[in-house]
Order: sequence, then structure tokens, then C-alpha cells
Amino acid sequence: MSAPAAEEVMARIAEVLGIPDSRVRPEVPLADLVGESYPLVEMAIELQDDYDVIFTQADLSAVSTVGDLVELVRSRA
Amino acid sequence: MPLPDDEHWVLSYYRMSEINGSLFFGRLARALKPSPIQHDLTRHFADEAQHAWYWTDCLERLGSPPIKLSDAYQDQYLEAAGLPVNMMEILAITLVFERRVINQYARHLAVPGVRPEVKETIDRIMADERWHVQWVRDALTGMEDRYGKDTIAETLQRFKEADREVYAKTLAEHEERLGFLLRSKEEST
Repeated sequence: MSAPAAEEVMARIAEVLGIPDSRVRPEVPLADLVGESYPLVEMAIELQDDYDVIFTQADLSAVSTVGDLVELVRSRA
Repeated sequence: MPLPDDEHWVLSYYRMSEINGSLFFGRLARALKPSPIQHDLTRHFADEAQHAWYWTDCLERLGSPPIKLSDAYQDQYLEAAGLPVNMMEILAITLVFERRVINQYARHLAVPGVRPEVKETIDRIMADERWHVQWVRDALTGMEDRYGKDTIAETLQRFKEADREVYAKTLAEHEERLGFLLRSKEEST
């Protein structure tokens, strides 16, 4: 599977979180978009299911911004 | 006559835990693409919702409507074990949790003079809980090629340790309310 475009992954994140695409930019901290733990889990599961990748706790611990998450998806796909 | 405060709180706590489980599995069921796991997770979600209804009905029949509680057992898991971040970790924490639930309900059934309404409710729930353990265990076995057998075993161990920690903490925090359950265990040993 080739790596998805960063724009595609960001659009998917916006869709999963139910927020406008304009709020999902690489420099935005994930904590600003996902206030609670459960939506974060849901988003992580959905992205892994969509792109057929696996995240570990260490992977997600290293993620702080939308850009970090997008690069994690792209590097595993 | 309404239930004693301790029993009223414990049954309401069971209800809240079933609601939280249902909401969690419902969100996951919504997030997954069609697959055997999506299928079983959706049934699991529906079961947990039904269990919350059983407790609501039971409490009302006993003349004590459910207490609104803000926290549930599952919330403390995340603090103790960290967020489950992939499907294997979610199923691993679910397996550990379901075994705890079965153990807790069995302990409640052992309380001398358990009310018939409570026994009936737990018996109905336990039939589903056995299936929950079975499907999750089978799904984890099916994930061994993808995640690695050792990784799954290590993850289960991590969550078992967190479960023991959370259960001990819950008993300590709510010692007075859970006293009637603890005493029944001492009496039976």
C-alpha cells in the first residue's frame, strides 16, 4: 500500500472527529482537537483500520501534533 | 422498602459500568470497517446496553431508582494501564475486564440472602459474559500472526497487573459500601 497524501489523512481526521477540515492543520496540537481519552482511542482505531497499519503506545506517546500523526500514518502505510 | 444505601450504590455502580462499556464499544463498532470483529463487537455493545437496562429495571423493581454516578470502573483502567491504542490492546483490556466482571458478579451471588431480583439480573448477564470472554479470546488468538503471540501475552500481563491495582484501589476507596460483599467472602472462606 502506498503512503496516503497528507491532505487525505488530515481530511480523514477531521471527518472522524466531526470538525471542519480547516481546524486540522499540521502544527495544531492533537490535545486541542481531542479533549478526552475515548475520542483519541476511537480516532487511532479508525485510522489504523482505514490504512491497515498498527500503532503502539510508544508511537502515540511520540505524537503531539496533527502533523506528527499524519507522518506516523504515512510512514506505516 | 428502599434498598440499604450500600447495596443501592453498588447496583447503581454496576449499571454505570455497563453503560460506559456500551458507549465505548458502540463508538468502536461505529469506527470499524466490516469484519468478524465489527460483527462481534456490535453484539457486545448491544449486550452491554441491555445489561444497563437490566440493572435499571432491577433497581426500579426494588423501589430504588438508579443513583446518578459520575465515575465508573473502566475510567480508572486508562490511568493505570495507559490508553489502549490498537485493536489488539482493546481486546486484551476487554478480556481482562470481562473476567473481572464475572468474578465480581459471582462474588455478589455468594452474598447470603442475595435478593431474587439481583440474582435473576446477574444470572441473565452472566450468560452473555461467558460469550464475551469466548469471542474476545478467539479474536486475540486470530491476531497472533499480525501482532505476535509474545506481544499479545505481554499486553495481557500488563493489563492484568493494572486490573489488580485498580480493583484493590476500588475496594479501598469504597470499603464501607462494598463491606457486605467483602464480609460474605470472609464468611465463605
